[in-house]
Amino acid sequence: MSNSDAPNGSSSSADAGSSEHGPRTTPGGLPETAAPAAAVVEASHDESHGGLRVYVAVFVALCVLTTMSFFTYSPLWPWRDEPQVGWAFMMAVSCTKAMLVVLFFMHVLWEANWKYVLTIPAAMMAIFLAIMLVPDIGYRSRMVSQERLLYMARPSDEALMHQAGTAAEAKAGAEEAH
Amino acid sequence: MSTSAFAAGSDFADGGHHDHSHGDDHGGDHHGHLKLQYQPGLPLTKGKLIMWLFLSTEIMFFAALLGSYVVLRFGALQWPKPHHVHLSEPIGAFNTFVLICSSVTVVLALEAAKVNKSSLAKTWMMITLALGSLFLGVKAYEYQAKFSHGIYPVKPMGLVYEKPDLYYASAVRARLSDPVVLEEIAALDAKSETEMNAEEIAGRKSLAEVKRLVNDPAQEAFDIAVVADQIMPLPADMGSHGGSHGLNDTFSWLQLPIVIPGGNMWASTYFLLTGFHAVHVIVGLIVFAILLTYNLGPATAGMIENAGLYWHFVDLVWIFLFPLLYLF
Repeated sequence: MSNSDAPNGSSSSADAGSSEHGPRTTPGGLPETAAPAAAVVEASHDESHGGLRVYVAVFVALCVLTTMSFFTYSPLWPWRDEPQVGWAFMMAVSCTKAMLVVLFFMHVLWEANWKYVLTIPAAMMAIFLAIMLVPDIGYRSRMVSQERLLYMARPSDEALMHQAGTAAEAKAGAEEAH
Repeated sequence: MSTSAFAAGSDFADGGHHDHSHGDDHGGDHHGHLKLQYQPGLPLTKGKLIMWLFLSTEIMFFAALLGSYVVLRFGALQWPKPHHVHLSEPIGAFNTFVLICSSVTVVLALEAAKVNKSSLAKTWMMITLALGSLFLGVKAYEYQAKFSHGIYPVKPMGLVYEKPDLYYASAVRARLSDPVVLEEIAALDAKSETEMNAEEIAGRKSLAEVKRLVNDPAQEAFDIAVVADQIMPLPADMGSHGGSHGLNDTFSWLQLPIVIPGGNMWASTYFLLTGFHAVHVIVGLIVFAILLTYNLGPATAGMIENAGLYWHFVDLVWIFLFPLLYLF
C-alpha cells in the first residue's frame, strides 16, 4: 500500500488517508493497468454486441422452445405413458431458455469474469438447498404411520373417483336408452 | 473512505479514458495536485453490482421455493393432474409468451435509450408495462377460476378434501343442512320442470341422490366417491376441462365440499409460487412506471439496464414455473 515511489510528498492528508483503499498512485503505471479494465467496462456497453438481429433471433428461439415444451401436452407427444421422458425434455428446454435469457438479454455473455463470482456460488447454494430438502420432505411419505396413511390422499382415491364417474355415466346412458 | 476515492472510482467504471491525460500530465505537475486513481473491485457500476448481488439472493429465494415444490410434488403419494385443479395449459403457455415478449421490449428500450432515441425507448417501455399488466390480468383470471371452484390456499374458504371418506361425507351433510342451502333447495324443489333447463332438471335429480347417499346409514366407500363425483368430477383425460361439470357448477349457491386427491398441498404450493412471482411482477411494473417519468436518454441507460436485469430474472423464474406447474 505504500506510495513511496510516487511523487506525492505534497499530497493532501485526504489522499494519504485513502491510501488504504488501494489507490494506484504511480502515474506511469496507471495507463497500463487501467486500460484493460476500462476496455472491459466499455465493451459491456459497446453497441457491437447484441443488436436487433441477435435479440430477434433469441426471441424466435424462445418462442420455438416454449412451443416445444407445450408440445408435450398435445396428443401427438409420443411418450404419453412415460411422463419421465416429458419431464426431462421440459427441464432441458427450460434450462436452454434460461441460458438464452441470461446470456443474451441479461448481457452475461459479454460481461467480464465477475459474472462467475456472483452466479456460480448462488447456483451451487440453490442446488444444495433443494438437495437438502429431499431426506426430510421428499421421503416424508415413504415412512409414515398407518394412522397418517389413513388420512393421506392415495392414488387409489383418484381411481375410486374415476370408477364412480364411469358408473354414473353408464347409469345416465342406460336411463337415456330407457 | 474519502469521497475523492469514490469519485475517481466511478469515473473509472464509467469508462473514462480521459484519465489517461491526467496521469501523463502528472509527470510535469510539480504542484502536488495529484489525481489519485482507484481501481474498483469489480469492473462494473455500483448500481449494477448491487442489482446482481440482489439477484443472486433472489436465485436462492426462488430455488428454495421451486426446490420445495419439486420435492413435495414427487414425494407425495398423490398429486392432482393439472386438469383436476382447473389449470389451463394453453393459458399458461400464452402467459409465458407474454413475458418473453416483455423481456424483448425491455432490451429494445435499453438499446434505444443508449443511442438517445428517448421517445422510442419510452414506447418500448410502455409496451413492456402493458405486457406485464396483461400477464397479471391473465394470472388474476386464472386465480378466479380456482377460487370459483372452491380451491383456496387456506381452509375457511377452501372446499377441498383429500379423499372421499367419512369426514368428507359428514362435511357434505353439514353443508346440506345449512339454513341458506336448505332454503335454496326448498325453492328448487318447488319449481316445476317447465321453469328449468335440462341441466337444472338433471342437477335436481342428482342432488336428491347425493342427499340420499350421504344420509344412508348403509353407505359404502364407493357411495361417497359417487357423491364426490356428482359434486365435482375429476376429468379423466387431458383436454376435457369443459367436461368437468358438477353440481357445484350447476348451482353456484351450493358450494358443497369437493374431493381433489392431493389438492390441498397443491393449492398451497401453487398459490405460494405464483403469488411470489406475481409480487415480483408488480414490483417490476412499479419500477417501469417510475422510469417512464424520466427522459429515457443515455443518462438513464444504467437505470433501464438494472430494471431490465430484474425483469429478465422475473421472466426466468416463470420459464421454470410454467412447465413445473402446468405440464408436470
